[in-house]
Amino acid sequence: MVGEPDRRFSFRGRPRSARDGETLLSALSRDGLPLLHRSIQYHRPQGPYCGIGHCAGCLVRVNGRPNVRACRYEPASGDIVTTENAWPSPTWDLLGAIGLVKPGGVDSQHGLRRPAVATPLYQRFVRWLAGTGAPPTDAASRALSAPPVERFSEVVVIGAGETGRALTAALVARDLRPVVLDRGLHPPSLAGAELLGATTVVFLPPPTAAGLRPFTLLAFREPGQGVRITARSVVVATGSYDTLLLFGGNDRPGVVTADAALSLTAPQHSPPFHQAVVVGGGHRAAQLLATCGDAIAAVVAPGEIRPEVVRAASDRGILLYPRSLVLRANGRKHVRSVRLRARGTGTETTIACDAVVLAHRRIPHAQLFFQAGATMEWRSGVGAYGPTVGADGATSVPGLFAAGSAADVPSSELGRHAEAVAEAVVRGAGPTGPALSPPRDDTPTELLGYYRELLHVPGHGRWVACPCVDALVSEVERASRSGYRGIEVVKRYTSLGSGICQGRYCLPEALLLLSILEGRSPPEVGYITQRPPVVPVPLAALASLPASPPSEVPP
Amino acid sequence: MTFARDSYRTVVVGAGIVGLFTAYHLARAGGGPILVVDRGFLSSGASGRNGGGVRQQWETRGTVRLARESVQAYRRFGLEFGFNIWFRQSGYLFLAENASELARLRNVHALVASEGLPSKVLDANGVARLVDGIAPGAAVGGTYLESDGTLYPFPALWGVFEAVRSLGVEVALGVEVLGVETRNGRIAGVLTSKGTVATPTVVNAAGGWSGDLSRRSGLEVPNVATRHEILATEAMNPFLDPMVVRVSDGLYFSQSMRGEIIGGLTLPHPPGTSGGLGSSPVFLTTMARALVGLLPRLGAVGVLRAWSGFYDDTPDGFPVIGEDPRLPGFVHGNGFGGHGFMLAPATARRIALAALGQPTDLDPAQFSPIRFRAPTPATTVERLQLG
Repeated sequence: MVGEPDRRFSFRGRPRSARDGETLLSALSRDGLPLLHRSIQYHRPQGPYCGIGHCAGCLVRVNGRPNVRACRYEPASGDIVTTENAWPSPTWDLLGAIGLVKPGGVDSQHGLRRPAVATPLYQRFVRWLAGTGAPPTDAASRALSAPPVERFSEVVVIGAGETGRALTAALVARDLRPVVLDRGLHPPSLAGAELLGATTVVFLPPPTAAGLRPFTLLAFREPGQGVRITARSVVVATGSYDTLLLFGGNDRPGVVTADAALSLTAPQHSPPFHQAVVVGGGHRAAQLLATCGDAIAAVVAPGEIRPEVVRAASDRGILLYPRSLVLRANGRKHVRSVRLRARGTGTETTIACDAVVLAHRRIPHAQLFFQAGATMEWRSGVGAYGPTVGADGATSVPGLFAAGSAADVPSSELGRHAEAVAEAVVRGAGPTGPALSPPRDDTPTELLGYYRELLHVPGHGRWVACPCVDALVSEVERASRSGYRGIEVVKRYTSLGSGICQGRYCLPEALLLLSILEGRSPPEVGYITQRPPVVPVPLAALASLPASPPSEVPP
Repeated sequence: MTFARDSYRTVVVGAGIVGLFTAYHLARAGGGPILVVDRGFLSSGASGRNGGGVRQQWETRGTVRLARESVQAYRRFGLEFGFNIWFRQSGYLFLAENASELARLRNVHALVASEGLPSKVLDANGVARLVDGIAPGAAVGGTYLESDGTLYPFPALWGVFEAVRSLGVEVALGVEVLGVETRNGRIAGVLTSKGTVATPTVVNAAGGWSGDLSRRSGLEVPNVATRHEILATEAMNPFLDPMVVRVSDGLYFSQSMRGEIIGGLTLPHPPGTSGGLGSSPVFLTTMARALVGLLPRLGAVGVLRAWSGFYDDTPDGFPVIGEDPRLPGFVHGNGFGGHGFMLAPATARRIALAALGQPTDLDPAQFSPIRFRAPTPATTVERLQLG
C-alpha cells in the first residue's frame, strides 16, 4: 500500500513529499518525531503522543482548515500545511515565555482581578492568546461538502480489528449483512459485509424505542463526511488504547504511547526513534520488543517485568528496571533522557534516550457504552470502566453488544466469543444469555500504589494532568483541598478533560489521583458523562445530515 | 450523621447560582443557621450547563431592571468573591430576519433605552460589522447593547459557594429533598434522602426540579422543566465579540474566552425531568445547519462536545419569587426559564428578603407565586426567552 514518494506538499513553506497511503504525520516523522504543536495555555513544546487520532500533539492547518490531525490525514499533491498556536514556529515559540515565567501555572480562577479598571485589558490580552489557530477560511469550509452517507442495517459492527473481523465473519455465516465501521484509513475489505473505512462513530445515543431499528448512530468519515446509520443491533468492538502516565515532562515531544510507536512503525517504516525507553513490563512491552526491539534501550516497569519480556530484552542486551518510578523526562524540545527512582531502595538513575514509550496499561474505549446508557463496572485490574456484559456480549441495553477487549475477553477466546455474540445478535434484542456478570475482579489497581508514592516527589504539582488544556496536578490538588469532591466537579474546577481528546488521556489518571486525594475508591470518585461527539466533527459534516429522524424502514 | 444540626432557620433547596446567592444574602442578613441541599454535585444543574450569557435587553421593564442590577453585581464579583469570572461586556446582538421581527426588536430597544441603557438599532450593514463573515441576507438588522456580555459560570459558582461556607452556611451535596413537613398549615421541616431536619422556612431554588418540589409539597404550580441542548466547538483565535441571538429560532452563540463557539437553539422536547439529560442527533444536525447557514466559514470547525440542561419555564416568562401564601414558610425562587444566571444576583437579594418575611419591591402581578391563579390571564408577558 505504501509506495514511492509521489505526493508533493508544502510544510511551513518548504517542499515535502509523502508516499501513497502515507499519513501526514508519518511523512513528517522521517527524521524522528516532529515538533508540530505548542500546548494551548503555556505554549510548552508538545509532541504527538497518541498516534490514533485523539491527542492535540499533531494538530496542523491544512489548506486553511484548522486542527487537522496529521496522523489522520493523507496529504494530496499541492496541499499547503502550516503549524498553529505558535509564534513564529513550534520550534521557537516566543509565547513559550508564559510557561517559563510562571512554571507553577497561571491561576485563571483567582488571578487577574485587580485593579477592576484593568479587567478589560487583561481580557483583551488573554483573549488574544485564545484558540489554537485562525478560524477556517471560507474556501476550507466550502470544500467540506461531501453528500452524507445514510444506511439502514440489521446490525452494525463498530471496529474492524481482529475482534470485528471475527464477528463479521460469524454474522455473515448466519446470513446477515452487517455494516462495519472502522477508523482505519484503509481497512482491508470484509467478505459479505459493507465496510466503511476512515469512519469514527461519534454518537451512539440510547435506543429511542423498541422499534424495528432502535439505534440511530452518527459517524464521521474523514475528511469531512457525515454518516447516519439506523440499526436493530450494534456490536461495539472498539478495543483498547494505551494510557498516559503522570510524571514530569509527560507531554514532551518524544513521550508517546505504544499505540503511537506501533502505528508509526507499521507497516514498512522504521520506528521514529533510535533508543527508546519502554515503560511497562507486560504483553504490550513484549509486542514493542518484537516490533522495534532494535530501537529500544531499556524497559522500565512500575511493577515486575514478565519473563517473556525479560527473555526478549536480554537477547538484545536491553537494560531492565523493574519496580521503578518514572520521575521525569528531561529535555525541553525533545526527550533526551529519563530519570527513574527504584521503588524500595530509592536509588535514582538517568537513562539517555530519544523516546519514552508508554506501554504499562491498556484500557477499553468505553465512550460509546457510556453514551448508550449501558451499565458500567469498574475493572480494578486495569483501573478503568467497562460495560457489564454477559457471556454472549449482551450489555444492559437491549440490542447493544460488546465484543473483544471491550468485553474483557482475552484474544485466545476470541473465536468462541465471536460465535456466541453473533448467535445472540441473531436471537434478537434482550439479554437472554447468562445473567449479567458482577464486577469480576476486585484486586486493587496496581497503579494506585504507584501514584501514592509518586505524589511524594517534590515538584509533582507542576506535572501536566491534562495536556489538552494545560491543567496541572497542582490544580487538581488545590480543588481537592478546597473541598471540591468527585471527578465531575473537579473536572469543571480545573477544565481537565474539556479539551480536544475529550478526557481520553487525562481522566483515567485523574480518577486514580482523586481516589488517593479523596481517600475513597475510584468508582466513588465517579465518572465523567461521555458527551458526543467522540471525536471533533466539522459542523459542515453534521449540517449535511438530514434533520428529520430516520424512518423505521429503509426507503 | 449527615447534617451538622437538627434544625435550621432556613433550608435552601438547590445549590445552583440562585440558591447559593440567596443563602449568601440570608447569611449576611444574619438569617442563620442555613442549610443548602442539592441532589447532585456542585454545578450539576443548569448553573453548570448554561452558555454564560448576561443581558439586559428584555421586553418588560421589571426584567430589564433586575438584569441591569445583576450586571452591576457581576462587574463587582471578582473583588467581592475572590474569583475571576471573566465577565466580558462585549455585547448582545439580537438578529431579525424580517421586518416584523425588527419591529419587535425596535420596541425592545425603546424600552431598554428608556431605562438609560445605550441600546442601538442596527441595519444589515451594522450587523455585518459585528459578525465577521455573516452570510449575505442572513439578517435585515438587529439590536445591540454593548454592556451585555458573557461570563464563566463555574468560577461564579465556586466564588459564592466558598463565600457562603465562610459565612457558616452548611452545604450538603448529593442529598435529595423528598418533601416538606407541615404543622398547622406552616412549614415545619424538610424530608431528605439523608434524614429529616426541622425548619420554619424552605426556599425552593431547585431550578428544573422546582416544579416537582412544589407539587410534592402540595402546591399546584405551572412550572415546567424543558430540556435545552448546547454545544461547544474547537477553540479558534477570536473573531467574534458579541453574543449573537436570532429571534426566529432562538439560535444563540458566542465565542468564549478560550476561543470556542458555544451555543444552542430552541427545539421542541417533551416536558419534564424524567427523560433525563443528554444530547440528540437532531440537535447536533439542526444546530450545525443553523450555524453554518449564518456563518459559512464555520463549516470546517469541529464540534467538540454537546450537553443539555433543564430550563424551568413559566407560562408568562417571569420567575416566581416570594413566599407562597398557600403554605407559609415555603418561599419560591424559581421559574427562571433558562435565565437564572443572568438574574441571580438581583433576584436572590429579594428571595432572601422574602425568606426573612420582609417586603420586596417586586410587582406581585409579575413575580408572585399566586399570579397564575388570577381570574384573567396575565397581560404582561416576557417573550424574549431566548439565548
